[in-house]
Amino acid sequence: MKINHLLICGSLLLLLAPTLSHAQQNQPSIEQLLVEPFLDDYYSNVVYGYEIITDTQKHASRYVGNSLDCSNCHLQAGTQKEALPLNVAGMYPKWRAKNGKRNGIGLRIRECFLYSLDGIMPPEDAPEVLAIAAYITYLSQGEVMGAEPEGRGVPTLPATGYDPNPANGRSVYLEQCSSCHGEQGEGIEEMPAVWGLDSYNKGAGMNGIREAAGFIWANMPFGNGKSLSQQQALDVSAYLNLQYRPADPRDSKFLKLLEDLFN
Amino acid sequence: MGDWRTEVFAGFVGAILVIPQGITYAYLAGLQPEYGLYCAIFVTLFSSILGTSSMMSGPNTAVAILIGVAVLPLAGRGSPVYIDFVFLLCMMVGLIQLLFWLLRGARIFQYLSPAAISGISAGAGFLIIMASLDSILDLSTFRTTFFYEKLYVIISDATDLVNPYSLVIGISTILGGYIGRRYSARYYIIIAVCTGYLCGLLVAFIWPQPLTELEYLGRMPLQWLPFSIPSVNIEYLMTSIKLVPYAFTIAFIGLAQSLVIVRELKMETDQDIDLDKEVYAQGLANFLAPFFSSFVGSGSFNRTKANRSLGATTPFSGIAAAGFVLILITFLGPVLTYMPMAAMAGTLFIVGADMIKWSDVKHYAQVRSELVIYLATFISIIFFGLATGIVIAVFLSVSVFLLRISQLELSVENKDSGTLLKVKGALFYASVAHLTEKFQSHFGENLTVDLQYTTHIDQSAVDFFIRESSNMAAQGAKLTLLINDQQRRFLKKLGISSDIELISL
Ligand code: HEC
Ligand code: HEC
Repeated sequence: MKINHLLICGSLLLLLAPTLSHAQQNQPSIEQLLVEPFLDDYYSNVVYGYEIITDTQKHASRYVGNSLDCSNCHLQAGTQKEALPLNVAGMYPKWRAKNGKRNGIGLRIRECFLYSLDGIMPPEDAPEVLAIAAYITYLSQGEVMGAEPEGRGVPTLPATGYDPNPANGRSVYLEQCSSCHGEQGEGIEEMPAVWGLDSYNKGAGMNGIREAAGFIWANMPFGNGKSLSQQQALDVSAYLNLQYRPADPRDSKFLKLLEDLFN
Repeated sequence: MGDWRTEVFAGFVGAILVIPQGITYAYLAGLQPEYGLYCAIFVTLFSSILGTSSMMSGPNTAVAILIGVAVLPLAGRGSPVYIDFVFLLCMMVGLIQLLFWLLRGARIFQYLSPAAISGISAGAGFLIIMASLDSILDLSTFRTTFFYEKLYVIISDATDLVNPYSLVIGISTILGGYIGRRYSARYYIIIAVCTGYLCGLLVAFIWPQPLTELEYLGRMPLQWLPFSIPSVNIEYLMTSIKLVPYAFTIAFIGLAQSLVIVRELKMETDQDIDLDKEVYAQGLANFLAPFFSSFVGSGSFNRTKANRSLGATTPFSGIAAAGFVLILITFLGPVLTYMPMAAMAGTLFIVGADMIKWSDVKHYAQVRSELVIYLATFISIIFFGLATGIVIAVFLSVSVFLLRISQLELSVENKDSGTLLKVKGALFYASVAHLTEKFQSHFGENLTVDLQYTTHIDQSAVDFFIRESSNMAAQGAKLTLLINDQQRRFLKKLGISSDIELISL
């Protein structure tokens, strides 16, 4: 009787074995993780990282200075191609011109807090930073280390032959964008602000005309990406670039004061 | 009731004192600053409402360090799982303390010698100083096992490791504190914090953050009623077994400190204090703490002292303090955002340095056993950590205590009828050996043993007398015991032999 049981159990296990090892290779999806949180340190950090990316205001408010969330720019919680996807763990550490150092993914995350979220740079070992790093690792599962993932960052727009024209940009903005982002760029209802004190600051990557143009061309108006011409995207991006927004945190307020005094 | 103003003012000062402490202790516990503030509000509130004394409870150094020591190996600092574990640990601590109350355990803390408590406090002070160096020098991702390794690495790699901006802020905070103390012994911590904060503002004004890489406190998402339900989960329970020894240590250390404070208050003021009720208050407050997003606390020496010097005598000052913390942080929140961590660490440094008292060393140096306890506790803490140090302190205190009570005071008088032996102390299995020597040196003589100053006799002592008396009878000598009524009853019950003559006094 007992032996029979054992045999049945054993053969069941053998049958299950391939599916079990299969399940280990395929990591659980975010939805699965959310409903049944893994208590494993890694997966709990992945979930925490996901929550921070999608609701930065709630889960990482300590370091945030404006009203944006990471996922306002890293669309679909960093999973959408050509919208600054975050499956980039394999690309780091890497040399960057912005600060002239080799950057780990940690520093990259901290910089988006400082510039894009116009906040405070969190410490290297802040739980928020570690959690986002875990989430980025999780998203990068299956990518080739060191190889640029497909659709990384935003598309680089080819030279159109014309300089970006902010005046044109203004009319594009009022036609296409202000219904969501507001005439003063403040963001209507739940929409994110594109300028003003509640938006990214002058040091942010999004404040670069080409970077923003690529983002806007591929993804905006929201849900209707690639409907603008590339020239329109460049124009509107130049217009956004001219608007009032928080100062670049890399500028010394002291030097600025001296400058103001001398002029 | 003309006194309520005194109590309210004392509460106000207590609130100002506890805010920097709550924030820094939260850091020691591996938690975000707001948890320390919640601790300053809710633990203080509950233990004052439930307690009977003017003791100020709330965030406590040793307790905070122990939380960090216990939970950091299990999960990443400050992550949600980490916080769950901390809350679970806190609930255990509260339950254990309530168990202490049920068993009327307050008495056992009398066995922890004052030297051990001072040694623990000095050791904790040392650990605080080492922890504060992390933030003063901005060594965020940096781990060593022993403090001297850390010092060695810092010194040998100073130019690479040390953040000069952070160092300047830290040093100005410490200097501000020590200079401020000359002028105001009570508010110097506040002076230190303000100096550090202003210095931080100046640094931030001249150099931008991407250059200085300074760490700031950041915005605190504070709520007035931060309810939380600690999640207890089967899978957690497996790992949380590891927390149990720490829960006992924290429960013990928390109560030990609180009871030392309360006992002092009871002796030196005329407050109507019930020790058991205080244990109950601490236990329940700590048990409730995790439900209000707070970690556990205990009585605080420094805040209770300040409270007393302002004339507070009732638990109402603690209740007022909790209220003022709530009001103050609501208004101070935005200002605190740009508080440099180095300034917080500077105040921690001062607090830590204050806990290592040279006068303690001199005081305990007078009695060798006390000095041994003090130094052994201190040294084991700085090398092996707080938990080990506390175990050693308890072990040593109990050993010294046992050694002391197993000592007998024996005096020998030669009378015509034989030798008279007066025994002072407790006569039990551990001390009977001392008697043996005396019996041997007077072997063959008539012996009278005076037991009226003996505090306790146990079975093995009686057995000893019976054995010796039969030996002596073989030599023709006689054993006489001078006893009181109670001892006579006890000896009768154990069936004393007829070789022994009993004389009641
Ligand atoms: C205002 C839009 C914006 C927001 C909000 C934002 N980012 Fe970014 N992020 C960018 C842009 C633009 C880039 C790429 C340009 C650059 O490198 O500066 C980028 C790049 C990154 C990268 C590197 C991606 C790569 O391809 O190497 C990471 C990681 C990152 N961000 C993390 C975050 C995190 C974490 C948050 C939230 C705390 C956040 N970002 C919020 C705009 C934003
Ligand atoms: C249908 C409403 C809608 C329209 C129209 C729209 N956007 Fe957006 N935009 C959004 C939403 C929503 C997001 C945030 C995406 C998210 O959170 O998933 C966003 C994000 C952005 C961002 C990055 C986040 C930030 O606040 O900086 C920029 C830049 C931006 N939009 C620019 C534009 C421009 C330029 C146009 C006009 C060409 C435009 N948008 C039109 C809804 C819209």
